[in-house]
Amino acid sequence: MKPILRLDGICKNFGGVVAAKDVTFSVLPGEVHGLIGPNGAGKSTLMNIISGIYTADKGSVFLDEKDITQVPPYTRARMGIGRTFQVPRFLQRSNIRDNLLLGTDLGNQMGYLNSFLRKKGTDFDAELQELLEIAKISFDWSNDISGLPFGKLKLLEIVRSMLGHPRVMLVDEPAAGLNNKEIEYAMDLLHLASKKRGIGVLLIEHSMDMIMDICEDIVVLNFGEVIATGGPEAIASNQLVIEAYLGGEQDD
Amino acid sequence: MKRKFSPEAIVLVSLLVLFIIITPRVLSGYSMNVVNIALMFAIVAYGISVMLGMGGQLTFAAVSFMGGGAYFMANMCTDRLGINMPTLPALLLTPVVFAGIAFVIGLLLLKLSGTYFTFSTIALVQVTYAFYNNYKPLFGGADGISGIPTLNLFGYKFTSYNTWFYVLIFLVIIVAVIVELIRDSQLGRSLAAIRDNETAALTMGINVYMTKVIAFTIAGALAAFGGALWCMHGRFVGSDMFNYLNAAQFIIMAMLGGVNNTVGIFVGALLVKVLPEILRSLQSYMQLIWGFFIILLMVFMPTGLAGLYEQIKANIKHKLQKKREGAGQ
Amino acid sequence: MDFRLFCTLALNGIAMGVVYAMLAMGLILLIRAVGVMNFAQGDLLMFGAYVTSSLILDFELPLYLMIPVSFICFVVIGLVFMFTIYWPLRKASYPAATIIATMGASIILKELATLIWGALPRSLPPIITDANGKPGILYIGGIPLQWQYVLTIIVGAILIFLIHMLFEKLYVGKMMQAACQDSYAANLMGVPAIATISATYIIVVCLASVGGFMIAPIYMVRNTLGTLQLRAFAGVVIGGFGNIKGAIIGSLIVGLVEVFSTVFLSGYKDVTVFMLIILFLLIRPQGLFGGKIADKA
Ligand SMILES: Nc1ncnc2c1ncn2[C@@H]1O[C@H](COP(=O)(O)OP(=O)(O)O)[C@@H](O)[C@H]1O
Ligand SMILES: [Mg+2]
Repeated sequence: MKPILRLDGICKNFGGVVAAKDVTFSVLPGEVHGLIGPNGAGKSTLMNIISGIYTADKGSVFLDEKDITQVPPYTRARMGIGRTFQVPRFLQRSNIRDNLLLGTDLGNQMGYLNSFLRKKGTDFDAELQELLEIAKISFDWSNDISGLPFGKLKLLEIVRSMLGHPRVMLVDEPAAGLNNKEIEYAMDLLHLASKKRGIGVLLIEHSMDMIMDICEDIVVLNFGEVIATGGPEAIASNQLVIEAYLGGEQDD
Repeated sequence: MKRKFSPEAIVLVSLLVLFIIITPRVLSGYSMNVVNIALMFAIVAYGISVMLGMGGQLTFAAVSFMGGGAYFMANMCTDRLGINMPTLPALLLTPVVFAGIAFVIGLLLLKLSGTYFTFSTIALVQVTYAFYNNYKPLFGGADGISGIPTLNLFGYKFTSYNTWFYVLIFLVIIVAVIVELIRDSQLGRSLAAIRDNETAALTMGINVYMTKVIAFTIAGALAAFGGALWCMHGRFVGSDMFNYLNAAQFIIMAMLGGVNNTVGIFVGALLVKVLPEILRSLQSYMQLIWGFFIILLMVFMPTGLAGLYEQIKANIKHKLQKKREGAGQ
Repeated sequence: MDFRLFCTLALNGIAMGVVYAMLAMGLILLIRAVGVMNFAQGDLLMFGAYVTSSLILDFELPLYLMIPVSFICFVVIGLVFMFTIYWPLRKASYPAATIIATMGASIILKELATLIWGALPRSLPPIITDANGKPGILYIGGIPLQWQYVLTIIVGAILIFLIHMLFEKLYVGKMMQAACQDSYAANLMGVPAIATISATYIIVVCLASVGGFMIAPIYMVRNTLGTLQLRAFAGVVIGGFGNIKGAIIGSLIVGLVEVFSTVFLSGYKDVTVFMLIILFLLIRPQGLFGGKIADKA
């Protein structure tokens, strides 16, 4: 199978800090690909490079074998790179509906004029209903988004990303700050995304249970370098990985 | 959606109808003039609402475009340059021309962001004001341009302020509806995204730069339209209107009513023009009170009167809910 | 242009530049300390000009009494300004709110001045006059230079230098800056943020007011002096936001450009000054000395 996302020799320095050094790996459609490593290993930086917020010093990013290294971030999003953030980013002064509609706007790509003229797009309400049932979220529509608890926000950000019909989803630490039930719902969402919709998911997560549970393939970063790749079992028993984690944070 | 027929909307529409029926019957001459000017200012303020309220971009440029529209109109319809267009086509042409000009200026200035952008708009105001105030061939210099014909609608001439009122309120409603439609469309949501977080907006597929330019274009076109109306209504255009102080005044006007609220903008414009007239006896203190009022508002309710209203509504709703819960137990 | 005219103009330009620099420096101190762009900066200058001139004209205080009394006034103004315009708004959710509040302050200062001192401009005699009460002239190599401009440059330069030293070189100043930027760390160090921010506001008011006092004999004391702040903005932009050295040089450039273009372009002098800003913003938005700041995603 052709990879949907491929990184080739990505390098990135911040001043003296090496955040990525010759990183190469690829994500297949329909697979959940884990990206793990100690704090500061360069995981979020890599996502920023894939979504185009940072430009890599060297190396290329391919989406569906098309080189998108020079493509601006908003075009990458329209081409099908969806993402969530470590700390959810919603419109604080808007209601929940408007926040989620941004996802549908991205999926529809009808342009400002058509939208102004009220052209019909995909059925927002039906699609959202389906996702919310999986995420087990219900709330008062008219409320401000700022009133929602952190866990719901993190789930909603995945929902919003899926409303945009991406081909690749970059999901940054979805389980951080969620309770056990919510982690389950997040996994259900990612399962739907990858298995039913064929989206390639790149998942950053510190919860090893989650990673071992749903990832087919895993990349391990340390100090910006790939130190191991492979399936869950191989990674769990990899000496380099164990050392990296023990050398970094002991109580993770 | 259901909120379109909420009791709130019905009350608003009824109030508006009353306003339209009563105002021209009780007012005339000078006082009517004041209300009309407030309506034209509201059109300009709606442009600021799109930029600042929806998109979070603080711009002073409204007066530059308002002046542009006014002088354009004056030159097209007074035979000064040998052009003698009928007023209606000239009026309709103005926002189109200035949308184009605003688009080009927006392309340049919006390469800057945040405070840099705001400063560039202040500079723009200073430059345009210097030209409006000095360059006689196009702007009449400090004397301005007088003898501008009034609006002529298929043979009907609007010679009294009271008849003008109907035209203006009609146009304000159209503009308000357009702004409300923008808010509830992809453009409105994209602007809101930019206002809250540009990086996140980019990852949601929003072309941040172009979206801001479009908002700037809309604001420029609305300001120019307001300016064209203003010069026809007063039959005169002078440079005083288009200086930095008035630019600040427009921003304050928008913030006062609620910069991100369509009804709020309308109320804000009326207040800014009408309140000083009502409180004439306090004249010498009026500006002072005004200044204090602005600060108090920013401290306690930065979302303006509309925000105040929303907050009161939310409080009442909250209390009712508590009561119901209390009764249920 | 003959050499004498050139010298006179250059002197005027530098003197105005120094006054703009005093405003600009205050702007930057505030941006650094509390992150607020102050749109009442010019009105502080205007108010300071009224206060000082009133002490001289109405209370007939001699200079040695006028200076301490006006300093007390500036302290009061600074504290009132900070506790009304900044402190209640420091956690405002709408960033534009703090800016609009300073616009409100601008209106208040202007109206207060009009209510207290009347709408007509007041004239303040220059500090150094000749035997007939005319502005004193300093002759250097046969070139006549007005004392008031020379004094403006000297006083302004000394003040700017001292404050620059305070913030950039002295431990206290560095502590103050740190305190403003990171109140948590500052409170750990035992410096309450409120004290350092108050001190910053007082310094800013002093800078602006002294500028107002120095140019009062040149421009007359009038309630429209506030518009001078637009030129200080220009200086800040040219120098690069947050950079004091840059803002000083930028302000001097603005003063000189303005004075020389007045000669050639009279009504259009604003066009040159502000086109310069637009060009600067487009070609070099970080200013002469500024660096770029990136958003961390
Ligand atoms: N915008 C930036 N400027 C400077 N350094 C950065 C920036 N973004 C990330 N870094 C640095 O790059 C390294 C990797 O950070 P990050 O990608 O956030 O790590 P992770 O997500 O794996 O915890 C860290 O040392 C971090 O400080
Ligand atoms: Mg991270």
